[in-house]
Amino acid sequence: MAKQNKFTDLFLHALLIAFCIIVIFPVIYSVLVSLHEPKTAFLSIIPRKWTLENYIRLFVYGQFPRYILNSVVNALGGAIVSAALATLAAYALARFEFRGKQAINAFILGMMMLPALTNIIPIFKLASDLKLLNTYVLMIMVFGAYGIPLSIWIMKGFFESVPRVLEEAAAIDGATPVQAFLYVVLPVTTPGLIANLLINFVYSWNNFFTPLILINKTSMKMATVGLFDFQHVLEGNQDELLAAACVVIMVPAVILFILLRDYFMRGMVEGAVKG
Amino acid sequence: MKNRNGIYPYLLTAPALLFIAIVSLYPTLYSLYLSMTRSKKGVTSFVWFDNFKTILQSSDFMESLRNTLIFSSFYVLLTVVIAFGLALILNRKLRLTGLYMTIIFLPWVLSEITTGVVWRWMFYQDSGILQNLLGPLFNNVAIITRPWGAMGIVIAATVWRSISFAMLLILAGLQTIPKEIHEAASIDGANGWNAFRLVTWPLVLPTTIVTIVFMTIQAVNGVGMILSITEGGPGRATEVLGLQMYRQAMQFYNFGYAAALSVVLLLLNVVLAAFYLRALQRENALAG
Repeated sequence: MAKQNKFTDLFLHALLIAFCIIVIFPVIYSVLVSLHEPKTAFLSIIPRKWTLENYIRLFVYGQFPRYILNSVVNALGGAIVSAALATLAAYALARFEFRGKQAINAFILGMMMLPALTNIIPIFKLASDLKLLNTYVLMIMVFGAYGIPLSIWIMKGFFESVPRVLEEAAAIDGATPVQAFLYVVLPVTTPGLIANLLINFVYSWNNFFTPLILINKTSMKMATVGLFDFQHVLEGNQDELLAAACVVIMVPAVILFILLRDYFMRGMVEGAVKG
Repeated sequence: MKNRNGIYPYLLTAPALLFIAIVSLYPTLYSLYLSMTRSKKGVTSFVWFDNFKTILQSSDFMESLRNTLIFSSFYVLLTVVIAFGLALILNRKLRLTGLYMTIIFLPWVLSEITTGVVWRWMFYQDSGILQNLLGPLFNNVAIITRPWGAMGIVIAATVWRSISFAMLLILAGLQTIPKEIHEAASIDGANGWNAFRLVTWPLVLPTTIVTIVFMTIQAVNGVGMILSITEGGPGRATEVLGLQMYRQAMQFYNFGYAAALSVVLLLLNVVLAAFYLRALQRENALAG
């Protein structure tokens, strides 16, 4: 019996490894290509001569550094806005009873069901009329709004698991509700905040379609949209540079994910399953 | 409910609700309005349901609807089946499960555009690595230039990206099945297949349905990947509804028509969302 189990286990391991290779291959391949010398991208998978020149060229190519800056500003701004607004709302929903609470819950859930895709055109028109196209403000507000529902669910879960005794103890010690919130409750729910910020940051950083529609001024474009432009120009003759751009966009998200995997997973399951 | 807490709860929730309303509620309503307008030479006029009539008679629309259906069915089927298998394997808690999960989950934190660029590249005519690998199977035709090839590539790429998330959902469902039930089953003499068929499957079915509906919603709304790999081509072969909507608005400036398309998409999503919520309720009821 023991041998049979070992054999099955080995087989399953092999399957998993094969699958992992399939999953990770495109990523590794693009990294490899980015390390090739120009014009040698397709000659061999492993570069004959390794070089970092593509990355150096990337940073003087077009407005790529500016694109990265835009991505950082928009993604970080959006994440902070989501986290802040959602934390306040989640606290109210977790701790207080008030008229209309059910309605608000239903409203948030209902709005989550409306896909971003069908809303983006009207948002474009609205932003255009308000002269907000191609601004940081617009993107931060939109990304912020996108992230709020999921963030509320995450933080609500965390708040609900904090025992009320903590706040009551703080009140006995003379703290105002605000102080109790800031210095007692919030620190305990830090993991939730981190999950929030991470998920929203990565989601906004990776977002392609929304900035594609809302930003057409080159200097304000995000890295993802910049990559789309690059694809048209570089594909076929400067693939190594294109690959380098891909990698630069991939790297922050991947690093954040590897370091903080548990926060991500918990947050994502929370969002889809809890609904 | 009494308002013992005064206006605090309302103050706290108001900003969040405002943002949501501006980004979700208002655009949807505006969309409904836009869908009943048409702009000619800068003059916007109210045309009631004309746009919808045009849609129903449009062969382009029918084609994109068909593309959406083909794409979605294959995508959901492949994703859920593979994810299910993976979840079953990972549920056994083999060694290195954590490492496997980290790797398998990687595509989800990659952008649609980076993965799109890479996939398109791998099928690059003449020199793409997957083109070279699979080309011989198809008489060395450039796969991405054929309608069925482009559709296949787009499906493969999107499945590749989504498997991890579907797997996570199903795994969560599998893990809510208490060990005792499996032990009881094996005490009763149920072998592997029977144990699965009669015990695991019925218990994980609600979660699977949730996953199926969730992935369907993803499929219907997934435009970014397709845009970056084929831009709807060749011709219109991979132009799904969302893409057609994008084209009409951003390339042809037919905002009214695009809005009408988005209303159709919205209706589709509402129906799917209804299924999703019901499936969620069933799943939560089971979990107790």
